[in-house]
Amino acid sequence: MVHEAVAATHAVVTLDVGLPGIVWPWFVTMNMWAKSIGTGVIFMLFYLQKRHGDDPAVATLRFPVAVISIVFISIFLLFTLADLHQPFRMWHIFFYPHWTSPITIGAIMASAFMGLITILAFFSFIKKDDEAYDKLLLWTMILAIPVTLYTAALLSMCTARELWQMPTETVQMMLAALLSGAATIILYDAVTGSKMKEESIRSMAIILGLAAFASFTMYMAEMIFGPMKAEEVAAVLEFVKGHGEYATMFWIGQVFAYIVPMALVLLSIVNRSNNLLKLAALSAVVGLWVVKHVWLIIPQLLPMS
Amino acid sequence: MKLGFLVDLHLCMGCKGCQIACKVENEVPLSTWRLRVKYVDVGTFPETKRTFTPLRCNHCENAPCERICPVSALHYIENGIVNIDKERCIGCAGCVMACPYGAIYIDPETQTADKCTYCAHRIASSMMPACVVACPVEANIFGDIEDPTSNISKYIMQHNGDVQVRKPEKGTNPHHYYVGGGNVTLNPLASFRVEGHQLFNKLTTKMPVGGHH
Ligand code: SF4
Ligand code: SF4
Repeated sequence: MVHEAVAATHAVVTLDVGLPGIVWPWFVTMNMWAKSIGTGVIFMLFYLQKRHGDDPAVATLRFPVAVISIVFISIFLLFTLADLHQPFRMWHIFFYPHWTSPITIGAIMASAFMGLITILAFFSFIKKDDEAYDKLLLWTMILAIPVTLYTAALLSMCTARELWQMPTETVQMMLAALLSGAATIILYDAVTGSKMKEESIRSMAIILGLAAFASFTMYMAEMIFGPMKAEEVAAVLEFVKGHGEYATMFWIGQVFAYIVPMALVLLSIVNRSNNLLKLAALSAVVGLWVVKHVWLIIPQLLPMS
Repeated sequence: MKLGFLVDLHLCMGCKGCQIACKVENEVPLSTWRLRVKYVDVGTFPETKRTFTPLRCNHCENAPCERICPVSALHYIENGIVNIDKERCIGCAGCVMACPYGAIYIDPETQTADKCTYCAHRIASSMMPACVVACPVEANIFGDIEDPTSNISKYIMQHNGDVQVRKPEKGTNPHHYYVGGGNVTLNPLASFRVEGHQLFNKLTTKMPVGGHH
């Protein structure tokens, strides 16, 4: 589209100032990636308890899931803070909150979420009160939904970054949480001696495979149909098409996050192979970072003025 | 009262007087700009033309930057100016991402967001913005767009049909107008940017953001 515009007008910027480079760098990728895992494992534990409560290995997941969630939400918060140019003014968010900003809402919800998962860890490790844990898990799972989704609201409020649309980003955020949550549970089970029952692990495999499929389909749909919708989308997608600056990285992400996991999940179910599933899970977790990163960076490469 | 700006691109001759006046008045640090004049060359030799477009914050009525700011560092003042409180800003750069016009930057000295304020401090003392005063051809017209007798309102009425804003489709409702604008001057995607090479310098297009990262 850009090239057509140039051909039509033969217009060239001959004098201007330097435009800002990448404003939200890989710190923000880390933020989104870690948050997906931190909330994703909570979704998975809730699901496993409802669906496979009879699996003794599921009962042992309470404390580990709380810890995994604490670790990844801490990474998310740390990188959020590190990305601020004035990190010591973080407290302003709580003392001068602006309620139309998803950053304000997100910071408050993420802090509350951190509190809840810390209490979950307390219930499971110190108090050893499974009943209280399970009751609180419901509320934690409910809060995990907006915590997962608020970044989509933030991205969609970036008015000229047409690639980031609501509700597409909302769905992608949720799928990322399901994909990475299922993958993390599979990996945790693998490193702790594969104790989960076959049905439980198969449920995780199906969630992983379906989330990968749905996400991949949406990215491909955006690739094909997005350029027809807006000039900016067409220009942004040039960076991941053909010889675009981020084309290789984009496809590495798609292959690792979605294509490989989809194929391996299928093969693992057919062959009843746990090893293939472990590989699928690892591939998904690594690939998701790359996918998120490319999608974060490319709209920032476009001149806004 | 709602203050607005209008630039008559027929008059602008690209002297960059406004750009420099703004830089001096607001002590804008090196490598950052509140206001800049972009040159775009159009056509194929010998049928060529050079266009000049002063670009600054549009003080949008429905400003995405104000909406996204988590601490209300960006806020409206009564006269319609979208102002910034640098003491409150946490430097999240949400506004830089949200502004559809690339009008905000991270000040490398204060590590906070900054942008054109229509010289709110001068207006408070009944003075015109520095860029308006500096323009030798009076291409910058500034005033109350709610007052039908103001220069800007009259100019808008006289040039009815040739008054445009940047990216109207974004729904931001800018309070900054252009007379004589077109796709090339107002749409950044309509022109090609040659990386690292410009008329009088060898500037890399992408600059570091606030000296951070
Ligand atoms: S032009 Fe950009 S910085 Fe200025 S008010 Fe509009 S959105 Fe905000
Ligand atoms: S960088 Fe400052 S002014 Fe911009 S949104 Fe963040 S806190 Fe608000």
